[in-house]
Amino acid sequence: MKKLLAVALGILTAIGGFLDIGDLVTNAVVGSRFGLSLAWVVVVGVVGICVFAHMSGKVAAVSGRATFEIIRERLGPRAAGANLVASLAVTVLTLVAEVGGIALALQLASSVDHRLWVPVAALAVWLVLWRVKFEVMENVTGLLGLALVGFAVAVFLLGPDWGALLDQALTPQVPAAEGQATYWYYAIALFGAAMTPYEVFFFSSGGVEERWSVKDLATSRLNVLVGFPLGGLLSISIAACAAIVLLPGGVQVDALSQLLLPVAQAGGKLLVALIIVGIVAATFGAALETALSTGYTLAQYLGWSWGKFRRPVQAARFHVAMIVALVVAVGVLMTNVDPVAVTEYSVVFSAVALPLTYLPVLVVANDPEYMGEHVNGRAMNLLGTVYLVILVVASVAAIPLMIVTRAGA
Amino acid sequence: MIASDLLDVPVLDADGTHVGFVVDLRLVLDGPPDGPLARPRLHGLVVSPRSRSSFLGFERSAVRAPWPVAHLVRRRHRGTFLVHWSDVASVPTPGEAADPRQEAAVVLARGMTRYDARL
Amino acid sequence: MRRRRPERWSGPLAPEPRPAGRVLDARLHLLDRQVLDDDEVPVCTLDDLELEPVDDGATPGPHAGTRPAGAATVVVTALLSGPVLRTRIFGGRPPSSRWQSVAWRHVRDLGTAVRLGVRGDDLDLTWPERWTRDHVVGRLPGGRHDPEGRS
Repeated sequence: MKKLLAVALGILTAIGGFLDIGDLVTNAVVGSRFGLSLAWVVVVGVVGICVFAHMSGKVAAVSGRATFEIIRERLGPRAAGANLVASLAVTVLTLVAEVGGIALALQLASSVDHRLWVPVAALAVWLVLWRVKFEVMENVTGLLGLALVGFAVAVFLLGPDWGALLDQALTPQVPAAEGQATYWYYAIALFGAAMTPYEVFFFSSGGVEERWSVKDLATSRLNVLVGFPLGGLLSISIAACAAIVLLPGGVQVDALSQLLLPVAQAGGKLLVALIIVGIVAATFGAALETALSTGYTLAQYLGWSWGKFRRPVQAARFHVAMIVALVVAVGVLMTNVDPVAVTEYSVVFSAVALPLTYLPVLVVANDPEYMGEHVNGRAMNLLGTVYLVILVVASVAAIPLMIVTRAGA
Repeated sequence: MIASDLLDVPVLDADGTHVGFVVDLRLVLDGPPDGPLARPRLHGLVVSPRSRSSFLGFERSAVRAPWPVAHLVRRRHRGTFLVHWSDVASVPTPGEAADPRQEAAVVLARGMTRYDARL
Repeated sequence: MRRRRPERWSGPLAPEPRPAGRVLDARLHLLDRQVLDDDEVPVCTLDDLELEPVDDGATPGPHAGTRPAGAATVVVTALLSGPVLRTRIFGGRPPSSRWQSVAWRHVRDLGTAVRLGVRGDDLDLTWPERWTRDHVVGRLPGGRHDPEGRS
């Protein structure tokens, strides 16, 4: 149990990145339209986020500096400011979706209109940010989020044709009904979701919250190696469930409830209940992760006092920033937008934020002033550089593909 | 004067030839004691011939990794040199509304020496 | 401006004699780093540096008429933060009356962050944090609650 709690930060970070409400739906959409032919992208994304989360965790443990502090220090006020605006856009859009997602879940449970639940959901998120100890927060949401393992269980219970599934995954082909551009648009969206910048902001700041030092390097590595592959596995499981049940029937996924169809078919009510617990925990966890990341990035760029380990009065502007973000989320949701559709536009902002986040992380992980003897080895630098190139290519391609495919329609 | 009055400003030699941009200020902590540390004395200006951007600092340090990034930055800043503050003849006057058509510039003294800027 | 193509300097660079004190480059080692107080609480980011000539009795330089800039010794007197950030992003220059500064004598240590030997609350430039604390966060119930259960 103690081992499991030690990796709660990694699990929560990965859940917020791979299994937030937007990604849950995107994974099901991808499975129902492309089968497992995009599973390779998730694998590529998992390796990428592992590489950079490992570096950012290492920098935080050795030097005590969180990721947005080093972004500001290396890129200067202008480029770091551009990154701040783009990252905040991604983070707040995701926060809007998560608060909306919690409200939708409460509507399912109570049949009271979800707009009435929105302020309640936001208030619940705020109370956790305001009162609860960081470790308690990550342990509870991380462990309950593990209920999403139910999707992996469902894949086994469905008893699929494993040969056909493996074939889809290992020799990916664009399905006849879909265009090349749409395929690559979804590839970039999945890759961007796996490598969302708020994951490293949250992970490195979480390391500082937990007061990591050089002797916690092993903990940091374990968090990375358990959390992100698990997130990726669950994300592929969701796509697989949809590929097995929804793809043959030609069912178009457009709502969260359709995620539950394959699960109900596989494991009945019990498994559905487990998955719902997991979805609520994951959505709540992602809301906490994005709200905190909003505070972390602003505070670290502007030099404010921050951290949940401090009393709110000792990190006053940090707490006000998170309150403002939640108020904005409630305001946006009151206009009746579809919370899940909102996250589609984060691809645009990710295109700016991704290279500007991971370049300074890679550079500082090589700087002996910060890292001493713990500077990157050659293999890590080779991987980091390859991923930097992939990130730039994906960023350049993202916006044209979005326009051509009308956001994957 | 503040640091950003000098940073990114074009640099001319005594004949008015453009020789680059101020990318950094070299400070040495050997001024009069002021609190726990000595006051940093402005020792010189780091001038890069081509580029104002200087955020990664590879051209001045011994760090060579990650190789492609280090290599690109070094190429961009080839020829970076240090001029001692005593070789600086004039700096833009802070706050003075300069002719908008004429960019403020740092002018170096005749016979100035280009030093190796590596740290 | 007379901006001809930069002359290609191909001559050798003179080796720089090692100065006696610790050598720092302003942008590389100071600007944009976090400034922490005596209790490791972030105070501000280091947005700019204030430089002042010290009158060391140097004789006017050899250049006819005007004394060259480089004839006077210039030292860093303060760390600046606040409104200077806006002008570093968008250009321009704030009037000196609006600079928010921390005197250099408070700096205790320079590393991956700049550490001060005083408490942040005692510095003028932390007023926005104190204002937010006194008028907003401190007034909300539980604002003084310690999440880690220390008293």
